Amino acid sequence: MNYRVIPVGLLAGLFVLSALLVSAQTASAGDVKLEVYLIWGTDDAKSPNPKHRPVDADLQAELKKLPLKWKNYFEVNRKSVKLADSESSRVTLSAKCDVEIKYAGKSTVEVSLFGKGEPVVKRTQALPKGETLFLGGNAPNATSWLVVIKRVE
Amino acid sequence: MNYEEQLKLQSFLDGELPEKDARDVAARVARDNQAAALLAELRHTREAITGFEDTIRLPESREFYWSKIQREIDRLQPVSAREAPAFSLWAYLRRVAVPATALALVAIAGLVANRGLHGFGGAGVTEVSVSDAEALTYRDYAAGTTLVWLSFPADNEVAQNTTSGTLP
Repeated sequence: MNYRVIPVGLLAGLFVLSALLVSAQTASAGDVKLEVYLIWGTDDAKSPNPKHRPVDADLQAELKKLPLKWKNYFEVNRKSVKLADSESSRVTLSAKCDVEIKYAGKSTVEVSLFGKGEPVVKRTQALPKGETLFLGGNAPNATSWLVVIKRVE
Repeated sequence: MNYEEQLKLQSFLDGELPEKDARDVAARVARDNQAAALLAELRHTREAITGFEDTIRLPESREFYWSKIQREIDRLQPVSAREAPAFSLWAYLRRVAVPATALALVAIAGLVANRGLHGFGGAGVTEVSVSDAEALTYRDYAAGTTLVWLSFPADNEVAQNTTSGTLP
């Protein structure tokens, strides 16, 4: 039998194809674990609220890469959320800030932000593991608020 | 005898010298034993060679003999040095189309995997604004971050700080 008839390149391509398909299936299956933050951005070195603490180093690094002008960011609240496919959860981050997150499957989430119970924005987007979605806006006294949704698993 | 004199002896033996030079060489051979010995040796050698050549007889014509040599030379040359083989579709497919197909499969696999990670059905990034909230989206693909900046009037709305009266 002439084994050289089977091209090595074709075999390698099929192997890579199989590996990628398996990888894609693995990535799209199972639950997602999210960290949800409410962040306050300011140029002040300290927050007037002693309960606030500076954001952790990883989040600080991500915030510094964004086109935002504030020097310091403080963590107001943080919640962990674990969602199965098609499951949703409403997270209260402050007395007037809620966020509802639904895992739509295939690494896609639907995020609905509420202010004082009223819908502010709804966004559907892919959120692969390790990626982060920031929803933010201006706040009084040249400060800012940010709702951060970070997928950790 | 020097080299020139030896050559002259060889020419004398071959009958190539002018008459005067031939006489001089003959006189030298008559009085010089070394010259006479060399001439005798050259004569014997020539006769031996002539006799040897006479014994060789080709079994075929001269042209056919050399044509056999030429065919053997051609046979021993590398394949690449000979004329190119005729075009073969199967050979072309094996050399070009099959590797190209493998590359295409890898590309398709990458595309499928990418869509799998980011969701099928064009889920990509979509946005629905509510309550007149205009949004500016910034996407950093390298960092894996997406920033949606809202014009939502957050004054004392989203995360009011109850102690200071300001956000958050």
